[in-house]
Amino acid sequence: MGKTDRITERQLTVLIFVSLLSPMIRILPTAAVVFGGRSAWLSPFVAFVAGKLLLSFMNALRKKVPEGTGLADMVELGLGRGAGKVFNVLCALWLTFYAGFVCRSAAERLLSTVYPNGSVTVFIVVMLLIAVLTASGLTKSLSRTAEVLMPILVGVIAAVLLSAIPDVSGENLLPVTYRNARDILYGAVPIFNVMTGFVYFLFLSGHVRKDTSIRPNRFPWLVLLALTALGVTFFTLGTLGEKLAVSMENAFFMVIRNIRVFGVVERVEAVVVAVWIVTDFIFMAALLSIVAEIWRTVTGVKKRTAFVPVSAVLAGAAAFLIARDAFAFQKWSDVLIPAVNLTFTLILIPAAALVGRLRKKY
Amino acid sequence: MLRERNKSPEPPKIGEDAPVTVAAMEAVFRDCYDFESRELHIGGDAANRVRLCFIDGLVSGSDVAEQVIRPLTDPERFSDVRGPAAIAMLLGGSVYVYTAKSRDKLGDAAGDLLNGFCALIFDAERTAVTFEVKSPQRRSVEAPKEEKVVKGAKDAFVETMKINTTLVRRKLRNPHLKIREFPLGERARTSAALVYIEGFTNEGIVAEASRRLGRIRAEGALTSAVIEENMVDNYRSPFPQVISTERSDKFCMNILEGRVGILVDGLPLGFLVPGTFSQFMKVPEDHSGHFIIASALTLLRYLSVALTLLAPAFYVAVAMYHQEMIPTRLLQSMIEARASVPFPTALEVIMMLLAFELLQEAGIRLPSPIGETVSIIGALIVGQSAVEASVVSPVVVVVIALAGIAGYTMPNLDMGSALRICRFFLVLAAIFLGMFGVAIGCALLTYHLSTLESFGVPYMTPFAGSEGRHLSRALLRRSMTVKRDREPELKTGDGGEAKL
Amino acid sequence: MKKTILAALALSLALTGCSSGLTIFSNYRRIENIELVRTITADKAEDGVRVSVYGTAGEENDARMYENTGPSIGVAMGEMILMPLGREAILSHTESMLVGEDFARERMGECLDYVERYSETRLDTGLLIVRGGAAIDLLKGLSGSDPAASDILAGLDKNISRVGEGYVFTCREVAASLAGNGVALVQCVRGVEEEKLFEARGDLNLEPDGFAVITEDGGAMEFLTEEETLGTMLLLMKLRSKNVDLPVQNTVSTVSVEKIRTSYEPVFGEDGRLLKLKVRLELSANLISMRGAADVTRREFREEAQTRLSGIMRDAAAGAVARSQAMGLDFLDLEGIVSRKEPIRLEDMPEAWESLFPTLPVEIRVESRLERTFDIVDPPEISGEEEKSPWEKLIESLKDN
Repeated sequence: MGKTDRITERQLTVLIFVSLLSPMIRILPTAAVVFGGRSAWLSPFVAFVAGKLLLSFMNALRKKVPEGTGLADMVELGLGRGAGKVFNVLCALWLTFYAGFVCRSAAERLLSTVYPNGSVTVFIVVMLLIAVLTASGLTKSLSRTAEVLMPILVGVIAAVLLSAIPDVSGENLLPVTYRNARDILYGAVPIFNVMTGFVYFLFLSGHVRKDTSIRPNRFPWLVLLALTALGVTFFTLGTLGEKLAVSMENAFFMVIRNIRVFGVVERVEAVVVAVWIVTDFIFMAALLSIVAEIWRTVTGVKKRTAFVPVSAVLAGAAAFLIARDAFAFQKWSDVLIPAVNLTFTLILIPAAALVGRLRKKY
Repeated sequence: MLRERNKSPEPPKIGEDAPVTVAAMEAVFRDCYDFESRELHIGGDAANRVRLCFIDGLVSGSDVAEQVIRPLTDPERFSDVRGPAAIAMLLGGSVYVYTAKSRDKLGDAAGDLLNGFCALIFDAERTAVTFEVKSPQRRSVEAPKEEKVVKGAKDAFVETMKINTTLVRRKLRNPHLKIREFPLGERARTSAALVYIEGFTNEGIVAEASRRLGRIRAEGALTSAVIEENMVDNYRSPFPQVISTERSDKFCMNILEGRVGILVDGLPLGFLVPGTFSQFMKVPEDHSGHFIIASALTLLRYLSVALTLLAPAFYVAVAMYHQEMIPTRLLQSMIEARASVPFPTALEVIMMLLAFELLQEAGIRLPSPIGETVSIIGALIVGQSAVEASVVSPVVVVVIALAGIAGYTMPNLDMGSALRICRFFLVLAAIFLGMFGVAIGCALLTYHLSTLESFGVPYMTPFAGSEGRHLSRALLRRSMTVKRDREPELKTGDGGEAKL
Repeated sequence: MKKTILAALALSLALTGCSSGLTIFSNYRRIENIELVRTITADKAEDGVRVSVYGTAGEENDARMYENTGPSIGVAMGEMILMPLGREAILSHTESMLVGEDFARERMGECLDYVERYSETRLDTGLLIVRGGAAIDLLKGLSGSDPAASDILAGLDKNISRVGEGYVFTCREVAASLAGNGVALVQCVRGVEEEKLFEARGDLNLEPDGFAVITEDGGAMEFLTEEETLGTMLLLMKLRSKNVDLPVQNTVSTVSVEKIRTSYEPVFGEDGRLLKLKVRLELSANLISMRGAADVTRREFREEAQTRLSGIMRDAAAGAVARSQAMGLDFLDLEGIVSRKEPIRLEDMPEAWESLFPTLPVEIRVESRLERTFDIVDPPEISGEEEKSPWEKLIESLKDN
């Protein structure tokens, strides 16, 4: 009964899904509506197709990689040890910063929705501590946590969206014609940006066991993520309309604020915001685990737990220092972070992995 | 000086592997008033002596007299038979006892005496022949007291392991059912047995269970905690990881599912490993009633877990920080109800939780008739009078009562206790951080449960670690007309050939 | 390390109460200190705005009003909430916002912005403009009554569209409409003095007073007449039911219009111009009472009733359209309707909607159908007519149908 830290492919994909719910709620639907207008609710379909292509591409690159080899190892094999380590360090630093951004983003969301008189400090500190606690553990524990919580998260968002049905007006969603195709494409960009986050989780693929005795049971994470994006965009647009949705910082939570469930529960945004904190926490913990995994590969140290506290401190510093107020933070959230994220997930990392395949390293 | 006067002389150091002699045996049981030792004449021949030793109270005097002493002293049976020949005759069935063992080590012979055997010690040969003549004084098999069912079997385990293994054998008439004995405790030397089906139960689990039983370093296994805390993977977790039951039918059902059972002499319980979270949500009644009803009740139990954990914390968070969630009319009545309550909500809830726990503990500790009365009166007085005196508001009483009652639906006491502790921590998290604290607390709790494993099986199976399959096992009960698949996480074998 | 982290976590929780910068305790409210606000008013004042809240601490009978003035709604509300009441008002259960006419003319946008931006308030807060007086006076006139003022306003919200007197638009609907096409409708109310019908009624009664049309800049505000309001409700499909008196034959028959279906058909020319907009209203009505005597089973009766009903509704709808065109404000969102029907043609139109709209021909056709008459076929008395046998009546009715 050894304590091996192995997970299945399905567990990794569940972890990806739960983690990516965090940025999905942050950027949707406002970002999609800014680009896509009234037809943005169709953008998730386009984003899904693009995401599927990238996923297939990365899976094809990983196909012949032996068990126990993660993306960091692939990069070092492909680019050579020196260049590979430099690249991995770059990724680790970016992901550390990103973890801090996610933490700050969650704190800001809490302040703007349910804790208006609060302070980011307490939320950042608590979330970092808990992320460190969980990231220091085994990857399989984090994956199992995601597995257990996933149905609850899906259930909550489904219930919330269904409750919003009475307020949806078709006038806010239609008409959509072929002339909106370009808008739909543009609206798909931020959604696709979120979906590409799965690339980071391939750094944990070294933990995935290729057990042929387990019948393939692929978790349709990309489909579910696209459906979530569709639901959030559809219901928010349908309730608020294009112009109003664009003018709001957290349009989705504004919709939730007005949900009444048979007069029994009035404003459920506190519950939904709290439930979504779970996705933020899992995402942060996953990012810190990924960072630790990268450092472990780079340094050759066996136990990765040593890197977690240091990374957390750096992430915490990023969370506090990234912006002085919500306005500056919004600039990061709207422009800089998505741009850098897309650069890593769509260009740099896939290219580094492709080099290794072209050089027949795996 | 008192200490000096009462101090007994040091016993002579005699190892367990020492040869069996009368002097050695008497030295081991020195200062034991119930140790009996008498000389017998084999075949009535005074020159041909043997020593009979036994522990009075553990043996049946009549059996000793009739089945051992009488044939042994019969000159027609044991005429001029000495030493090795006598030993051979005794082992061959010349005395009418169904269990006879030859012991040449002192430890084994002394152990037999403590297990209700009598020993005939042949000094010259340094050998003892021991015969099982256990006293019939033991608690009879009764209906289970804690795990009651209406339609199920009514034979619960007792303190005597032999009887318990008999109950198991009667239900599982499988020749491959193994009952492997282990001595536990360096001083108490309690007997424990590992129960499994060879070829069916996963060998890895059997081996690991044997290893853990063997490494128990306690003085004795007189309480269930000795077994539970030594058998689990993570003893620090308050959540139970070993299934314990007083029901023989539940014990056997779990063996048939691929678990390994442990029986301990002196404990009227059977233990089963691996134990997963979903197992603690099941009751024996589930298999007696209709499968739809059983499924609905199982779902109700899971709802009760959520209620007992979250109801007080949710109330605290909403009442302190998120009043916007409360419907207008309810909020109006709550405002009015709380107008005369001097304590803040946090203190109210904590006070009521503590009062509830105190009442519960008092009800358990006191003798039955008084305990029940105290619980009822206490609940009435605490609830009713506290509300009338405006010490607490009615809503708090309702919430705490609901959480408490939901906790009582837990089939397993240990699980209920663990949830009660977690409830407190969630309330604290809600007090300091509101709904954010509740969410983080729940996430941490889920993470902790996800870290637990029981003999390699994830504790949260089938909710995690089972590839998303078999969820219905945990939540529903399939009809008995459908062939039941085995528990996949237990990785059972085909169950057939005995190992040679 | 785990123990260290858990200790740090416990410490951080304990410290959350220490400093105001590290805490969420500033969000803590004791329930018993809450003043539950259900209605807010805003009126023009000399130095800005006069706001009031109508709140309860427990039962509605103990409701209290608090008022304050300030340069803006935010400042006035903030200072009122902080006033030494020993209580804390929460706005998360606010159901209605009453805005005085004068204040609405100038600063309606500010009201909407306050509700949208403030984290406590809900977007589905009903918005009402008070005509003929200050909103605070109306609320004072309603308060102390049984049922309580908030319940009266809540009742208005629920029932006004059922009786065809109007529709209470929420802040979300108004904001979305303003953001969409720059114009929105707001329900108006008026306080009227009445004889006390019940004991313990307040001094005033609440009456709906048509719609107000407001623009995004908060400047222009026009009021629709009762007929124009009815027409607007018909065209926006906000009318749930309406009782109408119809002079039919020798009777005054009251019908209840129950089902309304509005459909639009834009007609474009070959050159892509929008030539006209056809509007078709289909109404279903039931006869609910009659003064006088007439045989309702006769086809003539029904046809005349239907014709009269159609005429009334057509006039109402046409009046609403005409008013909208005269104002140059598309509060009926006809552009949106055309856009949903023919989006591409609308985009390709040579003329901009703004210039086309005021002169766009709108053809309204109303089809009414009297569905049923609820049990009584013949009125109790038909004066001057010979009593016919049931057999004769049956043959006659078959000939009619």
